[in-house]
Amino acid sequence: MSDVTTGSRRLGPGAKKALGIFARYGTIIGLLAMIAAFSFLSPRAFPTVNNFTNVLNQASLAMIIAGGLTLAVTVGELDLSIGFAASLHGILVTGLIVHDGVPIPLAILIVVALGAAIGIVNGFIVTKMKVNSVIATLGVGTIITGAAFAYSAGVPIVAGVPEAFLQLSLGRWLFGIPNNIVIMVFILGALWLLVERTSIGQQIQAVGGNAAAARLAGINVDRIKTLGFVISGMCAALTGILLASRLGSGTTSAADSYLLTAFAAVFLGSATLRDGEFHILGTLVGALIIAFGFNGLNIFGAPTWSQYVFQGAILIIAVGLSSLGRVLAER
Amino acid sequence: MNGPMGAPPASPFVVARGITKSFGGAEALKGVALDIRPGEVHGLVGANGAGKSTLIRILAGLVQPDAGVIEIDGRPAAIETPQRATELGMNFIHQELAFVPGMTVLQNIMLGIPKRSRFGLVDWRSIARDVAPIARRVGITAPMNATVRGLSTAENWLISICRALVRKARLIVMDEPTASLSASESEKLFAIVRDLSASGVAVLYVSHRLNEILDLCHRVTVFRDGRSVQEFDRDGLTRQALVEAIIGGRHAEEPPVRHAAAGRKVALSVLGLTRLPRVKGVSFDLHEGEVLGLGGLVGAGRTEVVRIIYGADLPDGGRMTLDGEPFAPRRPHEAVRRGLGLVPEERRTEGLVLTKSLAFNVGLANLERIVMSPALPFIRGKARANLALETIRALSIKAEGPETPVGKLSGGNQQKVVIGRWIAASPRVLILDEPTRGVDIGARAEIHRLIRGLAARGMAVLVVSSEPEELPDVCDRVFVMVEGRIVRELSGAAVTRAAIVAASYSETHQRELVQG
Repeated sequence: MSDVTTGSRRLGPGAKKALGIFARYGTIIGLLAMIAAFSFLSPRAFPTVNNFTNVLNQASLAMIIAGGLTLAVTVGELDLSIGFAASLHGILVTGLIVHDGVPIPLAILIVVALGAAIGIVNGFIVTKMKVNSVIATLGVGTIITGAAFAYSAGVPIVAGVPEAFLQLSLGRWLFGIPNNIVIMVFILGALWLLVERTSIGQQIQAVGGNAAAARLAGINVDRIKTLGFVISGMCAALTGILLASRLGSGTTSAADSYLLTAFAAVFLGSATLRDGEFHILGTLVGALIIAFGFNGLNIFGAPTWSQYVFQGAILIIAVGLSSLGRVLAER
Repeated sequence: MNGPMGAPPASPFVVARGITKSFGGAEALKGVALDIRPGEVHGLVGANGAGKSTLIRILAGLVQPDAGVIEIDGRPAAIETPQRATELGMNFIHQELAFVPGMTVLQNIMLGIPKRSRFGLVDWRSIARDVAPIARRVGITAPMNATVRGLSTAENWLISICRALVRKARLIVMDEPTASLSASESEKLFAIVRDLSASGVAVLYVSHRLNEILDLCHRVTVFRDGRSVQEFDRDGLTRQALVEAIIGGRHAEEPPVRHAAAGRKVALSVLGLTRLPRVKGVSFDLHEGEVLGLGGLVGAGRTEVVRIIYGADLPDGGRMTLDGEPFAPRRPHEAVRRGLGLVPEERRTEGLVLTKSLAFNVGLANLERIVMSPALPFIRGKARANLALETIRALSIKAEGPETPVGKLSGGNQQKVVIGRWIAASPRVLILDEPTRGVDIGARAEIHRLIRGLAARGMAVLVVSSEPEELPDVCDRVFVMVEGRIVRELSGAAVTRAAIVAASYSETHQRELVQG
C-alpha cells in the first residue's frame, strides 16, 4: 500500500469559491480581458467610441438571431433552420419591395409573419410528428434554401432597392445611435422580459428544465415548444431583413453563416452567470465576445481563416473551462 | 488475501471522525463519526437527508469533506478519487448498479481491474479460472460468458459483490440492497452478507428496513440531521430504540378516523375505464372530502388508471364525469384546467425542475395567482416568494428559503415541494402516486397528516400506493386492483394491511365489497 497523506489535493473553501466564481463569471472576465488586451496592443484603433459603436452595430444582427435561438434552446430544442431562413427572408423582403412594389412596412410585416409560420411548422414537426429537432429544422432549412433559389433564380436582387429600405439598417437614431443597435436592444430587452419576468417565461424555463415534470404540472408543453420555434423564426426574419437592408440587396445564402455565430453566442452564453443554462443576458455576452474578438483580429490584419479558428476555439475553451470549474467546485 | 482474522477485533478498519460537509450553504454533515471493524456488519440508518449518502460519497472518494479525519488501519487517509478508495479496500454497491449491459458477466466483474495477459492479449481463460470459485461462493448461477443484459437485479447484486471480492475488498458498502429484491432473493443476500462477515470482510449496510438491520447487524450507527446521534451494540438494539433515535423523540401517528363516503357529493366518477392490456373496465366514485386508496401489486394497473384520469394517456373505452359534467382530458393541462392535480410517482424525473428554485417549482402550478393580471402576465416576485414561504411553513420543509434549488433538498423535502405546489393550487381532485416512496419515517407521517388535512378541507384525494402499510394510515376507503380490474373495495375497519395484501393476491375477478 502506498503512502497516505492528508489533504494533498483537497480544495479549501476559498479555492472552491474562486472556482465557482470563475465558472460563472469566466466569460465576462474573458471578455473584459480581451478588450483590455486589444486596447493595450492597439491603443489608437481599438478603444474608441467609434470602433465600439461599429462593433456593436455589426454584432446587432447576430445578437438578434442569437436571441431568438436562445428561446428555442431554452425550451430544449435546436433550431438549425435560422441561418437559411434569414437568407430567404432577405431575398423575399427585397423582392417584395423591388418587384412587387409592396410598401416597406407591409413587406417587413409579411416577412416576419413568414418567420413565425416557419416556426410553427418546425414546432409542428417536432411536437406532433415527434421528429428530433436537429433533423426537423435541418430538413426545413434545406427546403427553405431551395425556396430561396426558386424565388430568386440564384440572382441577387440589387437594382432598385429604395433608399428608405437601406436607411432601416444604415440610419441612425437619437444621439446618432445606429438603428441596428436600437432594434437589437429593444428585441433582446423584450425577450429578456418575456423569459425572466412573465408566466410564459416560467413555462419556457420549466419545459427546458424538465419537460416531463412541466407537462404533469399542467403546462401545455407542445405549445410552449412551438412558441420557442416561432420566436426563433421571427428573430431570424428580422436579422434577414436588416442584413438585406445593410447589404442593399437580397442574396441567396447571405445569412447562412449566422447559424454558426448564433450557436456559438448561445452556448458561450450558457457558460455565463448561470450554471449551464441558456439565457438572454448570457447570449448577449457570448455575442460580444465573438464580435470583439473578430474586430480585434481584423485590426491586427489577421487572415479570415483565423476568425473561424477563433470562434471555434473560444467556444470550446469557454464552455469547457466553465464546466470544469463547476465540477471542481462541487467536489 | 488479507488477514483480518488475526487482527484484534477491537481495532477498527475505518474510522471517520468530525466529518463536516456543506453544499452551497446547506450543511449536509455537521460532524459525524463512524467506525467499522473488520468483519462486522455495521448498520447505518437515518431519515432521508440525515447525511448517510454524503458520508458514503466521501468514503468513496466522490466528494471531499470540508473538515474531519478519516483513518484506515489507524493511519490518516485522503480518499481523493474512487480509485483510491478501491486501493484502500473499500467497495461500493449502489441501488443503481453500474454495468456495461453488452459485456459478459466475467468482463463486468473484471471491469476496471488490471487484467493478466498472455502474448499481449487478455488471458480470459486463466482469469475465469481464478474468478470461478469466488463466483460460486456468492452464488452466481449465470454462466460467466453470458451477457449481463437481461439478468435479474438479484443476479446483478451478486456480480457486484463478486467484483468487490475480486478486488480484495475489506469493506463492502451496500446502499438499500433489498429495495428491488424479492423476499427470497433478499434471504439469499443476507446469507452472503453473513458469509462475508464470517470471512472477515466488513459490510456497511445502509437501509430504511429496520427488520433487516435488526437481523443482520452487529452494530448500528444512527444519523440524524447531519450528526451521528447514537451507536448501538448488538445488545440494546431494539426496533423501538432505533425508531426513537431516527426520528428524535417525535411520536407515531394514531390511526385515523375513517369517514364514511355515504352522503357526500361525488367529485370524480369513473365508469368502465379501459386501456388494454393494463386497464380492463375500472369503475369507481371519488367523493369530496374523502381519501380513496388504490392498492395492489406493482403492475396491477393503478398508475395506468391514474394517467388516464389525468389526461396523460387516452383510454380505449369508458367515460368519466367531474362534478357531474363529462370529463375527457386529452392532455394533462386540460385536466389541470378542470381542477385536477397530480403528485407523480417519480419526483425527480416527473415532479420537479431540479435546477430551479423552490419558489419556481411551487409557482409552476400557480402561475395565475402570481401574475399581475391575465392580460399582463408579469410575475410578481413578492407574491411568488410569499407563496413559497407559505409552502415552506405549512409543510415544514427544510430549506434555506424560497430561492434554494430543489435539487439540493433531501428526498422527503423534495416530495413536500411537489405536494406543496398542489396544496397551494388547491385543486378539486388531487391524485398522489406513491406519495411517500423513499421518504423517511418522520416526513412520511407528516405527509400523511397533510393528505388527511386536504380531505378535511373538502378536497377529493386519490392515493396510489404499493405499500399495504401506507393505505390504512391515510385512506377512508381502499380499492384493490389485480390485473387491470378492481377486485375488492374495503371501507371502515376493514381497511387493514392484511386485507389489502390478501386482496392483492386474490384471483377473483368478481368485485367484492367488504365493510368493517
